[in-house]
Amino acid sequence: MKSRSVPILVAAMLVGANIVHAQEYHPIIVESPGMQTGQTMPRDYTPDGRNISPPLEWRNLPEDTRQIAVVCEDHGAGNPPPWVHWVVYNIPGTATGLPENLPIYANAPMPAEIAGAVQGENGWGRSIYRGPAPPLGQLHNYNFFVYALDAELDLPPGLTQQELMERIEGHVIGRGAIVPFYRRGPMDTASAP
Amino acid sequence: MAEDQRRTISRRDLLKGVGAAGAAAILPGKVDEGSAQPASPGAGTDPGRARSFAEVPRPRRLENLTADEADTLEAIMARLIPADDLGPGAVEAGALNYLDRALGGFLAGEREEYGLNLAALDRYCLSSRGAPFVELSTTDQDSVLIDLEGGSATGSGAGFTGSSASFFAMVKGHTWQGMFGDPYYGGNAGFIGWDLLRYPGVRLGVSAADQQRLEAGELLPERRSAYDSEMFEKATAMQRAQGGVEHGD
Repeated sequence: MKSRSVPILVAAMLVGANIVHAQEYHPIIVESPGMQTGQTMPRDYTPDGRNISPPLEWRNLPEDTRQIAVVCEDHGAGNPPPWVHWVVYNIPGTATGLPENLPIYANAPMPAEIAGAVQGENGWGRSIYRGPAPPLGQLHNYNFFVYALDAELDLPPGLTQQELMERIEGHVIGRGAIVPFYRRGPMDTASAP
Repeated sequence: MAEDQRRTISRRDLLKGVGAAGAAAILPGKVDEGSAQPASPGAGTDPGRARSFAEVPRPRRLENLTADEADTLEAIMARLIPADDLGPGAVEAGALNYLDRALGGFLAGEREEYGLNLAALDRYCLSSRGAPFVELSTTDQDSVLIDLEGGSATGSGAGFTGSSASFFAMVKGHTWQGMFGDPYYGGNAGFIGWDLLRYPGVRLGVSAADQQRLEAGELLPERRSAYDSEMFEKATAMQRAQGGVEHGD
């Protein structure tokens, strides 16, 4: 009995943690002026550059979309994976994307087009975007997920990805993603002393 | 919003961190984070001790660091504990002076680590943000410090001696020491750090009446170095007699 119940419990926990990912949803088309799925991320969106958040655009939202959430995850890192780079939610359902370079200060206002949006806690424990920093030479994929929600949830700032997934469970009616990759190379020594 | 109003590590965070380290246990009352009660020089519990921030000495007679290293470290310290509406910060407290002295004394073993990592920091800033740390905007400086703290700068190839997070932790720890340590060691100029914490000062004895005044937030702070007391004077006198220190190091 004991030997059978433990694996079942573990499996149930894993399913619960990934419940939003495991289902089929209305497909949202996600694009970015600066990034493409299967292409390398520009340095400006990594700590090898300015490490600012990339711009995102989305379309084909479900008709009943009331709110949007965005999460960036690296499924090749973290213990356990994923390593979370970015969490944004309470985005108005009327928004068509996220502008580049969201604030890194908690008291700074969000751009007008996404007024009300807040950032959640990333893997470094900070409620801001931090870009890819894979070990030298390793290629990692970065999943920018966009979730369409059927309710205005008014969630508190600072939620982790896991907490967000728990809060939006049952409200996700659409999902899409853009998945660029990044691999760190030798430093740009041309500009270094 | 002015960039100076933004903080990598807010004073609120700082006070929480110090409290976690145990210093809060000796504070004469709770720091009111919500109302941001001033704990600045001249605004403390002793109206007779009022003084201007401008009167706080800022020594810059380097003993161990190079001028470039000192400039970079001071710029980092200015972001870690910035001067704000609660009072002056690490720069005004002379935290750099503390570190410069200490690197010739009890921190001498970390002098090389500082040199190598400060050079790596500027290589990293030039490569990623296009200018050395001191020339970056405060927003970019904060962004760089966040990358250092989280270890993201480690794999940049800039040449940090270990994890960039270790270097950040070292600088942060020494900044805290220079801000809140005994002024004998060259920092905490004008007792800026102690005023910020509302630390009542070094006392060899606390009476029941003192304790009551402390709990009521009415205890006048003792603003003198521990080494000004007779007990510690003996030790320092012995050191000097043996060819010891000119200052706390």
